[in-house]
Amino acid sequence: MSKRHDIVIIGAGHNGLVTAFYLARAGFKPLVLERRAVVGGAAVTEEFHPGFRASVLDGASGPLAPTVAKDMQLERHGLQWLEPKCRIFAPSPDARALILHSSAAESAKRIAAFSQADAAKYVELADSFAGAQKLISSLLTTTPPDIDHPTSTDVWNLLRAGKTFRALGKRNMRRLLRWGPMAVADFVAEFFETELLRAVIAARGIFGVAAGPWSAGTTATLLLRVAAGGLPDGGPIYARGGIGALSEAMAAAAKQAGAEIRTSAEVERILVKDGAVAGVALANGEEIPATAVVSAADPKRTFLKLIEPVHLAPSFLGQMQHYRCQGAVARVLLALDALPNFPALKNEHDENAALTGRIHIGPEIDYLERAFDDSKYGDFSRAPFLEAAIPSLLDPSLAPNGKHVMSVHMQYAPYKVNASNAASPEASPVCHSEPAQFSRSEEPAFRSAASDSLSGGRSFSSDISNGPSSGALAPKARSSGRAAVPGNWPAQRDALADVVVKTLAEYAPDLPQKILARRVITPLDLEQDYGLTGGHISHGELALDQLFTMRPLIGWARYRTPLRGLFLCGPGTHPGTGLTAASALNASRQVLKHLRR
Amino acid sequence: MPKSYDAIIIGGGHNGLVNAAYLARAGKKVLVLERRYVLGGAAVTEEIIPGFKFSVCSYVVSLLRPEIIRDLDLPRHGLEILPLDGTFTPMPNGDYLWRVNDHAKTRRELVRHSRRDAEAYDEFGKQMLQMCRFVKPLLGMVPPDPTSLNPAGLKKLMFLAKRFQALAAEDKYNLVQLMTMSAADFLDQWFETDVLKATMSASGIIGTFLGVRSPGTAYVLLHHYMGEIDGAFRAWGFSRGGTGAISNAIADAAREAGAEIRTEAPVARINMRAGRAAGVVLESGEEIEAKIVSSSVDPNLTFLKMMDPRGLPDEFVEEVRRYKYRGSSGKVNLALDALPEFTCLPSNGSDRHLRGAISISPSVEYMERAYDQAKYGEFSHHPYIDIVIPSLTDPSVAPPGKHVMSCFVQYAPYKLKNGDWPARREEFGDAVINTIAEFAPNLKNIIIGRQVLTPFDIEEQIGLTEGNIFQGELSLEQLFFLRPVAGWARYRTPVDNLYMCGSATHPGGGIMGAPGRLAALEILKDLGAKQ
Repeated sequence: MSKRHDIVIIGAGHNGLVTAFYLARAGFKPLVLERRAVVGGAAVTEEFHPGFRASVLDGASGPLAPTVAKDMQLERHGLQWLEPKCRIFAPSPDARALILHSSAAESAKRIAAFSQADAAKYVELADSFAGAQKLISSLLTTTPPDIDHPTSTDVWNLLRAGKTFRALGKRNMRRLLRWGPMAVADFVAEFFETELLRAVIAARGIFGVAAGPWSAGTTATLLLRVAAGGLPDGGPIYARGGIGALSEAMAAAAKQAGAEIRTSAEVERILVKDGAVAGVALANGEEIPATAVVSAADPKRTFLKLIEPVHLAPSFLGQMQHYRCQGAVARVLLALDALPNFPALKNEHDENAALTGRIHIGPEIDYLERAFDDSKYGDFSRAPFLEAAIPSLLDPSLAPNGKHVMSVHMQYAPYKVNASNAASPEASPVCHSEPAQFSRSEEPAFRSAASDSLSGGRSFSSDISNGPSSGALAPKARSSGRAAVPGNWPAQRDALADVVVKTLAEYAPDLPQKILARRVITPLDLEQDYGLTGGHISHGELALDQLFTMRPLIGWARYRTPLRGLFLCGPGTHPGTGLTAASALNASRQVLKHLRR
Repeated sequence: MPKSYDAIIIGGGHNGLVNAAYLARAGKKVLVLERRYVLGGAAVTEEIIPGFKFSVCSYVVSLLRPEIIRDLDLPRHGLEILPLDGTFTPMPNGDYLWRVNDHAKTRRELVRHSRRDAEAYDEFGKQMLQMCRFVKPLLGMVPPDPTSLNPAGLKKLMFLAKRFQALAAEDKYNLVQLMTMSAADFLDQWFETDVLKATMSASGIIGTFLGVRSPGTAYVLLHHYMGEIDGAFRAWGFSRGGTGAISNAIADAAREAGAEIRTEAPVARINMRAGRAAGVVLESGEEIEAKIVSSSVDPNLTFLKMMDPRGLPDEFVEEVRRYKYRGSSGKVNLALDALPEFTCLPSNGSDRHLRGAISISPSVEYMERAYDQAKYGEFSHHPYIDIVIPSLTDPSVAPPGKHVMSCFVQYAPYKLKNGDWPARREEFGDAVINTIAEFAPNLKNIIIGRQVLTPFDIEEQIGLTEGNIFQGELSLEQLFFLRPVAGWARYRTPVDNLYMCGSATHPGGGIMGAPGRLAALEILKDLGAKQ
């Protein structure tokens, strides 16, 4: 006999937990159901080698929305924030170091060693961003307006946003309008002449997305991150005990407020009756009735896996199938015997301080773009863009005494990967296409790709990460086995780690000798182990066509869904940025409105 | 005593001429000044090789606004549009894709590649038509300034918002996708045949320094869909006598209305008096006065070359310098002794497949790799090529039995990483010919003359900065109220009595004429107010 709960929340990731907290605080009694044995979703700390613990995904995408932090009082639940002494250390191939601090003025001093002009521009940009931040961050915590029937709140919010916008002054207003759709490479070139600095700032625009710095719209992604962080280059902040500690504190806050959390409880299906949710069915067969279900899972998983298609309109399903959700990120966790030596830091008086923040590897815009190029054709980057961190410097509890962990965010690792990374850039595209490639009678590529990934054994579902004819750029030589499919990842895992270590060794030559163990998390692992469709860390591509009133779909950007009582609260909704929990904050407002009606 | 006019138009390209024609028709005393010996700017026909008339730069017509054709009565002035029948895409595996204007035929051809795509193709056509209907009024609209509280501007914004609201849900979805997505991603949602997607996505990159996978290219796709001939969207054609004939027809209409047009009259400087534009000085030293000056050349030439930028607001100059040109295309014009033979579809007496566009765009990957090479400063060794053979439709442009072949080539970056364009021009031409010869091996034996135009040449000869055929990238941040500079998208400039009327203003490039017309209407408003 199952106890009747009014509200079920699917997934105990950040957004699920924050939603639970707000609903519980309002007097409801939400039940959170988590597939895995631990809370946190992809925001967990794991022991990947005896004595060595690291966050599976980092908090590099920005701090919590301030309202959430204030409301949840996470410090009371054992959370301790650790702020690094330096935010960013970016070594150049010729062993120079660009180091950025948390104050723009101090960073400018370091930039001046590269270029006086850039130092001045950096301060100017920081000021400009400070103005824009107010506007954008207010938009982040606003529910996107209803286009067809704007409510009075929508109109009020728009007027308020309009007022903040006008307060920017004509120059900044126009700048902001122009910036959004720009390629971030163009954006940074308008300000800076130092390639390394350009690359460091452009990195915020491409972090976690399947786009290169020359892709239009990447400035919008940069601005989203600026809104969360405030500084042009964003800054890392760590939780003591890793990101999992943050999740645990959130769970504790939610529980204290009155939420119930069940782990190892996988929701298999959302039950629907007469166009409204009726509850959920668990994998073990248990059914839990509910009047409202809030899904923190990604939109594709929610609508294409958890709901019988018969309950949704074909046009909605079609659009959801086309929602772009293929990740481009892999993670490599390294257990280190000792700290690596970066020759670029030889003149630093405090080498270790420089390593406490984010270590940016990707010295030029062209370097970043080339890394992206590989992924367009189904290869992971041969010279990848990396963001490494050594969280054990600030938090020794993560590693045995004197030893360290290094976690590396690697781009680009396309969800659909070729069987080998042997593509030659010089290969003539004309000769590239084999005769069989376009033969008329064969099955469309996507079908064979999907069945390949199933026969790959590890894939737990048919491929729903992208539209039916996704992966158009991957060579479709179906007979030759060069088709890019996620099922190729297990065989590519080590090759990817080798490339990451080799790339790091160019800046820290002694690193390879210090590695005790390594763990690789490929996009396929992110999908299978952490439930992220397509391995996308943001539950869907952050591109102009999937932002704000279009996230996840135009007409359904207000956390509601075509099914009465079903809501979304994950980053597949506005604003969609990583660990800010703003999606949950906005969603819980909408859910409460529904419940109180 | 210097002569005086109501308006001087700098540049005798099609927009300058349209601008002049509309002003003259309103009774203004107008003078057009063209630097070259021939009118048309980039819409020009020249006999580069005796007997062969090349549409040197732009080569097909479709975007020319119907209201301009009507208002200026262009057919009476000699404009004749001949239809361009279909698109033929040869493939490296010996197959081809050949879409023609005959619906049933195209359908059969698509079914041959994919039954599903054949179904989707019709639906796609319908949806694009809807989108064109929505966007079309924008082409005839002076962009509002969203940063201003001007009631007329707000009314326009409300009008746009209302129109958007009124769209069906499906259309809204399509529209936001078109405004933001990449052409390849957008087409991926509709089709599965790679070669079809590749050929269609090509319209999304023409003239831009973007790849088919770059967000924003879906809009350019739509921009090219908007072409209308006799009310039919998506129809392209040749102009009899080459694209220069269009310019000549407009010039004729302008002259008939009383405009004066001078060629070989390069403007050196825009004259200022008391902070206002008051006329121009020619390179010959001759001074000509006018109440207003309307510039159809790009902002770089207008504000940085023909004026002292120190006299302009710093912020404006900064934005003008920032405006992106980035020429990305070249042109190879060939004089041919005979017709090329494509191995995948031998002519056997029928040249129908050669009468339309021949597109070298065998796969989406091919297109994207062509872009990759250009991103790092090298021309594409296997470029996207859009070929037409106008002499098949209009025999007047070549001697009997011979042909002209026009090859639009992308990508050719303005700045090369290795070497410079004058030194590498012929190498570029060879790459183009070699690429086509992979599909039509006889090509090399039938060439009797060639003209290779790189972005450098387009800048030198035609006067388009960095060789950009649209007077500036058609990227999202340079469209509508942001074109060319936010706050100055309404054909006016920070200088009183100085206007812009070229492709660098809304709605942008192509032989459209809309900027010239809209600018004229704005100028007439201001002139009226002053009288």
